[in-house]
Amino acid sequence: MKWLTVLGIVVIAILITLYEWPKMTKDQKKEKKAFTVFTIGSVVLAVLLVYFPEMPGPTQLVDSIFKPLGKLLEK
Amino acid sequence: MMDKVRISAMQMAILLYATIMATAVLIAPSVIGKFAKQDMWISPVWGAITGFLTVFIAYRLNKAYPEQTIIQYSEKIVGRIPGKLIGFLFLVYYLHLNAISLREYGEFVKGNFLIETPMVILLGTMAFVCVFAVRGGIEAMARSAQIFVPLVIVLFLFIAIMLIPDLKPKNMLPVMENGPGPSIMGGFISSSWFMQFFLIAFLLPSLGKGEKGLKWGSLSVIAVMVTLAISNLFSLLLLGDITSTFVYPVMSAVRFISIAEFLQHLESIVMAIWVAGTFVKIAVFHYVLVIGTAQWLNLSDYKQLVYPLGFLLVIVAIWSAPNLQKVAHVLATTWPFYDILVHVLIPVLLLFVAMIRKKATKGSN
Repeated sequence: MKWLTVLGIVVIAILITLYEWPKMTKDQKKEKKAFTVFTIGSVVLAVLLVYFPEMPGPTQLVDSIFKPLGKLLEK
Repeated sequence: MMDKVRISAMQMAILLYATIMATAVLIAPSVIGKFAKQDMWISPVWGAITGFLTVFIAYRLNKAYPEQTIIQYSEKIVGRIPGKLIGFLFLVYYLHLNAISLREYGEFVKGNFLIETPMVILLGTMAFVCVFAVRGGIEAMARSAQIFVPLVIVLFLFIAIMLIPDLKPKNMLPVMENGPGPSIMGGFISSSWFMQFFLIAFLLPSLGKGEKGLKWGSLSVIAVMVTLAISNLFSLLLLGDITSTFVYPVMSAVRFISIAEFLQHLESIVMAIWVAGTFVKIAVFHYVLVIGTAQWLNLSDYKQLVYPLGFLLVIVAIWSAPNLQKVAHVLATTWPFYDILVHVLIPVLLLFVAMIRKKATKGSN
């Protein structure tokens, strides 16, 4: 079933690209680059999450950085 | 300035009000109640102080660098590389914060109404609508907020009036049993909502000429303060000491309403408030993230980033939290410090450096 989720993710990414890509003009090279990086990055992250749902997330990062201060409010 | 469209100061205030009130009104009574107990209705007043402070800082920075957002002027104030780093921190922060808000919305709807629906669908549909709004531009968002917010306020007041017969004023006593300490502690927690008023730094550049940004920003802070105080007070008067044990005290409170066994199940109204408010909230944060990213990369337009970042938003929303309890714990302990760093310490530092460079002095006259 996991490959089906991955397929869904890829389909969404392709739909977004099909919708946005023709709207960018030829001289918008930087915009195209940014668009590609964000779309591919999101797909990679999504696929990783499908296979490793327990991957530590940004919330844990914030939690561990501010832990010493957070203890003040711990109850 | 990429977006040529202008909004009025009142529209800005409405956007801010909806953005901050949306999640606060349901969760705040529980989180604040943990620290402030029966003084929880005083806490928003302390919290509002940080609200005024952040609005004022953002306003002064905007005066010194009109037409720019913090992503742009941070580079001018502290130099290119540190400025980019600050900009990056802001973008990561807004993506993360928005993802958590989206997740809170998903958990709420799933937990209370659509129990069988997969989380991804709930998050995806909401993100989709918000992304549409953002693609329409700030003016479209401002106008949709103008339609939603009065409706939300009317529904909120309706619920408050319906609850009056069930209130037990005794729950409020003793006021300040242990001095002002607990209420200030609760105020500190609530200030993490008020600090979100720093969003104004991204909206002020879109204001038309001669609009009173500071005045309407402050009015918005007062409106949020009053709303939070009312929702805290009513949760307290109805539920008493156990308020903080509920995840959504306002929701539980509304379930009490039964007028002549005729007017019942008003939860759907709370749901309507929550969905409309969350829509504005996520759209505003997404707008900020998207224009911020475009400015950070020096792009000529932001519109093509709206969809990819919306997609990323849903993924981060799933990634950011294993469950709501974990998020609620982080929000109540470590998150306020993250908020202070991004919304107070860095802006104050920027303003300080800018003042040393004697650019802010021009704005004060």
